[in-house]
Amino acid sequence: MLELVGVRHRYDGRIVLDLERFAVASGAAVAIVGPNGSGKSTLLRLLALLERPSEGEVRLDGAVASASPALRRRVTLVEQRPVLFRGTVRENLEYGLRARGIRRTKTIENVAERFALAPLLERRRHELSDGEVQRVAVARALAVEPEVLLLDEPVSSADRAAAQTLYRALAEERTRRPLAICLASHQLEDAYRFADDVRALADGRLSPITPENLFRVDVPREAFGAGGGDLKHVCVGAIEIVVATEKAGPAILAVAPTDIFVSREPLASSARNVFTGRVIRLTHHRGGVVHVTADVGAELVAVVTEEAARDLALTPGGPVVFSFKASAVRVF
Amino acid sequence: MVDDWPGMEFLAEGLRRAVALFLSGDAEVYGIALLTLKIGLTATLMACALGIPVGFVLATRPFWGRRAALTVVNTALAFPTVVVGLLLYGLLSRRGPLGGLEWLYTWQAIVVGDIVLALPIAAALAAAAVQGVDPRIRRTAETLGAGRWRTAWTVAREARFALAAVVTTAFGHIVAEIGSAMTVGGNIRGQTRTLTTAVALYTSQGDFGLALALGFILLVLALLVNVALQVLQGRANA
Repeated sequence: MLELVGVRHRYDGRIVLDLERFAVASGAAVAIVGPNGSGKSTLLRLLALLERPSEGEVRLDGAVASASPALRRRVTLVEQRPVLFRGTVRENLEYGLRARGIRRTKTIENVAERFALAPLLERRRHELSDGEVQRVAVARALAVEPEVLLLDEPVSSADRAAAQTLYRALAEERTRRPLAICLASHQLEDAYRFADDVRALADGRLSPITPENLFRVDVPREAFGAGGGDLKHVCVGAIEIVVATEKAGPAILAVAPTDIFVSREPLASSARNVFTGRVIRLTHHRGGVVHVTADVGAELVAVVTEEAARDLALTPGGPVVFSFKASAVRVF
Repeated sequence: MVDDWPGMEFLAEGLRRAVALFLSGDAEVYGIALLTLKIGLTATLMACALGIPVGFVLATRPFWGRRAALTVVNTALAFPTVVVGLLLYGLLSRRGPLGGLEWLYTWQAIVVGDIVLALPIAAALAAAAVQGVDPRIRRTAETLGAGRWRTAWTVAREARFALAAVVTTAFGHIVAEIGSAMTVGGNIRGQTRTLTTAVALYTSQGDFGLALALGFILLVLALLVNVALQVLQGRANA
């Protein structure tokens, strides 16, 4: 198991990561989602032992891990915009093995086959597309058979087909041998499709609720209306969400998908937030749960049961109404 | 045409004499050129062997006093050659701490002076070259399990053009240097006379044509070494 314990990491005195505990269990598939600048890449670099946390420690199987090559060889990171070394794709795939004093042509050919890289083996980096570079980088990391593979936005440069190839190859790798994968992504759909455990990161901290419907916002100082208490209008995309908060200034706004009522028509209710829009997609999950992603002026996700989705006749492109109370909106 | 432009006569004469000296196989001139080449290559090799790793450490290893070390190296770039020669003279003279070596007025003394002068150049330029490499290269090498030496080699391969420039700059600086070579070498005919000290001598004696001829030979030498390095670099890229 790879874990961060009591980690506070600073750049130029500013705390960029503050985690009491973050663990990736052996063989687990974990996804970290969050907006740009939320600390995902820093988290992965700490897990990869490429940076030492300003406070706290990294543990591997319970023991404090140092940045020695021997420990690093158990955890491999593929960066968001990976770079290839000078030389051919084959030489790149061989790099990690050579670092271990191993020469296994068969391993390289197998990994190239799995990632559809066999025709590219003799090409050099300037002869590859961004998506191919990303695929080579993931294959290069897996060629050394790490126990934990860390992937930072692994499909950011890939088209849909290439992303599918990559995820399929990763899934196959996990069936072949015990491999824990921790993936950072801003695409929730990919995170849910790939991972068993999705965690949200916002401003360097783990979000207390599920990662959908997280927005970086600017909360106004003034509450609205006479006797409005702490009710404020907060702009999110093209809509204004009513929130009950004393907080003002930059903040993270979150609405738990389970707190959103889904209907075809506006409901008479106490909900202060009622938004009409269209369904973008329906994602079916284990346990008869459906995630309804809708454009209601901002992209929001709600959770309903399979039965409710059927009763409401929800279809992509069809009309939908999302309602939720001001008190259901978390600002932190 | 040269007659129409009297100022150019000197240069043309120098060039003519340089060609004539080359073709005549003058033993003294060849001896001076070969000694210059020997000193230049030895000092370049040693200054780069020491300076490039220092540059790597300065560029990649965070340590206490790193900024101060960089300042010292950058200041050392501006060391006046004659001052380095004087300090070395003090060390190598019979009463100096290194007098026992009996290197004063030998080509080895010139090499030591040149190393002292070129080492900061190699270190500072190598540090800049390594700092210019995408930091992801180093992180990727490390995450793939490379140890310190393999990581350094990987980074060096990425910085190969800038590092080749370090070698050529150091060589250029060494073969053009005169202050230290004159002070610790003594410009002894057949022993420590290099192209630059010979140029200075013949100029002071009023034999400007010969001085110019030797100057041209020095330029050709520098050109040949640069071309050789570029050919090697081209092969490495193939």
